[in-house]
Amino acid sequence: MEAVTITLNGVEVSGYAGTTILDLARESGVYIPTLCHDPNLASTGACRLCLVEDERNGALLASCVAAISPGMTINTNSPRVVEHRKRILELILASHPDSCLVCDKGNRCQLRKLAAEMGVGLIQLQKIPQNDVIEEVNPFIERDLSKCVMCGKCIRVDQELVVEGAIDYIHRGTMVRAATLNDMPLEKSECTFCGACVAICPTGAIMEKERVYTGTATNTVTTICPYCGCGCTICLGTKDNQIVEARPAVDSPVSRGALCVRGSYGYDFIHSPERLTQPLIKVDGEFQEATWEEALSRVAEGLGQIKKDHGADALAVFGSSKCTNEENYVLQRFARGVLGTNNIDNGSRLYSAASRTGLGASIGYAGTTGSLDALERSRVIMVIGANPEISAPAVAYAIKRAVRFKEAKLIVIDPRNTPLTQFASLWLRPGIGTDVALLNGLARVIIDEKRLDVEFVTRMTDNFTGWTKSLQNYTAGYVEDVTGIAKKDVQAAARLLAGAEEASIVYGNGITQHTSGTDAVVAIANLAMLTGNAGRRGGIFALQRENNAHGACDMGALPGFLPGYQSVDEAENRQRFEEHWGGSLPTAAGLSALEMMKAAGLGKVKGMLIMGENPVASFPQPALIRKALSSLDFLVVTDMFPTETVKLASVVLSAASFAEKEGTFTNFEGRVQRLHQAIEPVGESLPDLEILLRLAEVTGSKMPYDSHQDVMEEIEDMVPFYRHVAYADTDSMGLDWGDVEGSSPGTRRLHKGLFPSGFGRFSPVEYTSPQDVATDGYPLTLMAGSGRYHFGAGSRSSRSARLSKFSPAALLEISGADAAELGIGDGDAIKITSAQGELSTTTKVSNSLPRGLLFMPISYPDSPVYELFGTVLDPQAKGPALKTCAVRLERTDGNG
Amino acid sequence: MTAKKQDTPSGEQEQHKQETKRILNGFSRKRLSLIPILQKVQGKLGYLPREAMTEIAEYLDIPAIDVYGVVTFYNQFRLNPPGKHSIRVCLGTACHMKGGYITLDAWKRRLGINPRETTEDREFDLDTVACVGCCTMAPVTVVDDKPEGGVEPTRVDGILLAFGYDTVTKDKDKSENK
Repeated sequence: MEAVTITLNGVEVSGYAGTTILDLARESGVYIPTLCHDPNLASTGACRLCLVEDERNGALLASCVAAISPGMTINTNSPRVVEHRKRILELILASHPDSCLVCDKGNRCQLRKLAAEMGVGLIQLQKIPQNDVIEEVNPFIERDLSKCVMCGKCIRVDQELVVEGAIDYIHRGTMVRAATLNDMPLEKSECTFCGACVAICPTGAIMEKERVYTGTATNTVTTICPYCGCGCTICLGTKDNQIVEARPAVDSPVSRGALCVRGSYGYDFIHSPERLTQPLIKVDGEFQEATWEEALSRVAEGLGQIKKDHGADALAVFGSSKCTNEENYVLQRFARGVLGTNNIDNGSRLYSAASRTGLGASIGYAGTTGSLDALERSRVIMVIGANPEISAPAVAYAIKRAVRFKEAKLIVIDPRNTPLTQFASLWLRPGIGTDVALLNGLARVIIDEKRLDVEFVTRMTDNFTGWTKSLQNYTAGYVEDVTGIAKKDVQAAARLLAGAEEASIVYGNGITQHTSGTDAVVAIANLAMLTGNAGRRGGIFALQRENNAHGACDMGALPGFLPGYQSVDEAENRQRFEEHWGGSLPTAAGLSALEMMKAAGLGKVKGMLIMGENPVASFPQPALIRKALSSLDFLVVTDMFPTETVKLASVVLSAASFAEKEGTFTNFEGRVQRLHQAIEPVGESLPDLEILLRLAEVTGSKMPYDSHQDVMEEIEDMVPFYRHVAYADTDSMGLDWGDVEGSSPGTRRLHKGLFPSGFGRFSPVEYTSPQDVATDGYPLTLMAGSGRYHFGAGSRSSRSARLSKFSPAALLEISGADAAELGIGDGDAIKITSAQGELSTTTKVSNSLPRGLLFMPISYPDSPVYELFGTVLDPQAKGPALKTCAVRLERTDGNG
Repeated sequence: MTAKKQDTPSGEQEQHKQETKRILNGFSRKRLSLIPILQKVQGKLGYLPREAMTEIAEYLDIPAIDVYGVVTFYNQFRLNPPGKHSIRVCLGTACHMKGGYITLDAWKRRLGINPRETTEDREFDLDTVACVGCCTMAPVTVVDDKPEGGVEPTRVDGILLAFGYDTVTKDKDKSENK
């Protein structure tokens, strides 16, 4: 690109053609005041405060939109410029209320900051107040448009970053204001309460609800959101050792200045009155408060006794996909090195085990192959079995931006009408559990029409011929019969996917939580390799439900793998760790999560250590799990809250929340990101890492770590693909794997199409008719999934006051057709019965479901939907089928 | 002066949707057809109900709020159904001097609605107009395209009475309903 040279305040500076004066000035360290400008949004030049003067002709230019041109002589601070800026500011302030003394925006108000900078105090213009009603019905956002300065940032962030389209300007002239469709309150609009507008509003017009007028945060700490697998960077505002606000980090590569409702408003669980603040020991069925010394020696004794009496394999350890990498690493070292068992697993078994197994077998790497940037650059995006709008909002934002602003084409494959379908060029609605047939069918069309990426397939993959043979049966006609998708749509999707320069496939729990989950993941990987999109360009994006699902597995909180997916079966791998840790490690692979519970029920496992998980709520068949855990001789649980599982424990160790500790999380992209402690642990609770290290010391096997840094350094040594993650580097949010891949031997990412083993492998997978759909006697299929306002097992989100207030109960969604047939209306009380159990709830008629399909959100402790699910496992990945099951409905309100 | 949106009965909503869909078929899906579409839909339905706006947004693949933004920008678009009789109160210079805004207040009070709204029984809709060219008759109210001169508050009652619209019983009904 051509360089353009201009004179800026008397100094010659150059920039690329097309750069705005503002950007060039900022690069050169020259300050220009702005109000409506934001680096993540397109500039509109609305506020005119960034005026500068071109001294050649005296023109006043809005520097945020005026591009540099050769010979410009810009003065950013000429007397004329200053006079105009002051006058503009006075005009803005003339319709702004004088409520600064009580306005919670305080020193973060950009208007106030600008006024102070320019010395604008007394407004000599006639005040024209723009009176408006304060909108405050919802528990998240309070809008007081009398303070609005019409910069349009809220509208632009809503439309450009989050791409929701909930608000826009209405009316014109002096009547203009930001409003929703038909000027409804936010809760009756499309608004998802992501809070992006609150974070970006330069004045107090849009504020966080239920904390206004409590004073301003005195300190801000940048850390990582503890909810979904996206791993958005959040800035926690603290005051008096309390978290008082959460804001998106503008320069985060994941979230780019927008969070979701959970990230923005779900943090208040930290100060929930239910927090466990002290260790508890159960004496005669009652919990008694204890000191850490008492509790830990009780734990050491309890676990030690079982090991002595029944052997190490009578113990099991359950790690957490919500805890840090360091904690999971130390936990598995504790399990293997101190307790001496490989019975260790983590919570991600419940939703992403199929992903790990399937991708591991195909591309040799158990995770997402590209970054969010790569996803947003894609020309075609296929979303299958995922509703990222709910389960991974930052991914949904990227997809929607790609479609709306970068002309990407979107294929949505989902039986439900998800928020993404309105952005889709093609929406396929397959029958439940028929994904493998559809994916094979797509592959067959691509091969038949010779649209495959021949070069990639020949150079980078093997077993292509063998796999092709297995596709014989999957003609478009057969696929239409099985999935219910018309031939022409299958062909159109295949052509779209194969025709794109860069294509990405995004999948989630709708794929992995079926019994055929692993097969479907393999089929996805096959399709990606066939079109040359496995990492070189585009990629496979495996969504993770929880913040550190990726990390917990990387760290070896798995029964069959040491850290870094080094199989425990191989002596060579064990030896490396034995040398490092001393002692010898158990040889045989241990029990996976559900096998542990089963073994506990059978009395084979007698003691268990559970870190930050709530199996009674998150596993299928809660009643059985409860029974299994109750039958243990000794159960230790570390948690923040008295969850259903905690109540069964012999000893409870009170753990600190994400805001109270240091460490790293690995998000679904594989990005390792650093946490920063914002406040001191609540009460006497301790970070899990500290608990584990103290526990190891009490058991007489002190580990040589003084801090999380020490642990991370060892991880860098022992886990090949964490080697280049120098601990300091994880701080810089700009670090992308692309920057370092060239220099490191164990390339973690598959950019440029490099497979860890050299080749990707095509594996044949066959469609088998699904077991988890409607059958005789149970004519409807129930689907369980995440809801927008709650998360996981609900341990944290149900203790967030605002989230619970807005979405207090789980409702069963039923299609209009089924509702009419069964004579069910909105809000009717009904009983759901499956072969496994029953559940009472109320209904909500929804037009997003096809006939025969019901939807029920998980994460509501009062409506444990997993009561209805069986414990059928994916035979390869050993994850339970928790997506769908067959049910029937009955009305229970008497008049039906 | 935000026009309050009134709810439309659901049967009518369905009909509006169908009508809108029929009209949309004739247009390209480019964003620039938005205003011609809005004009044609309003020509057919008499106003732009919410369901019509969402249909149009879906057809053009733009957020519904964008349609709403355009509809509220131009005076020619209405968000409320037209009443059987239209009342337009002149607020031009002469009428203003002669107390047109007092007349407007009288209309508002009598009909119980704001400008750009329609009475619940859809008998009357109320709007303002800036000069209709008969300033000698100020203050003027245009009733069903006929300019009435000297419309002071008492005349408002007279005009309503002539339509057989008994504001007293109306008011009474209202208070009973509450």
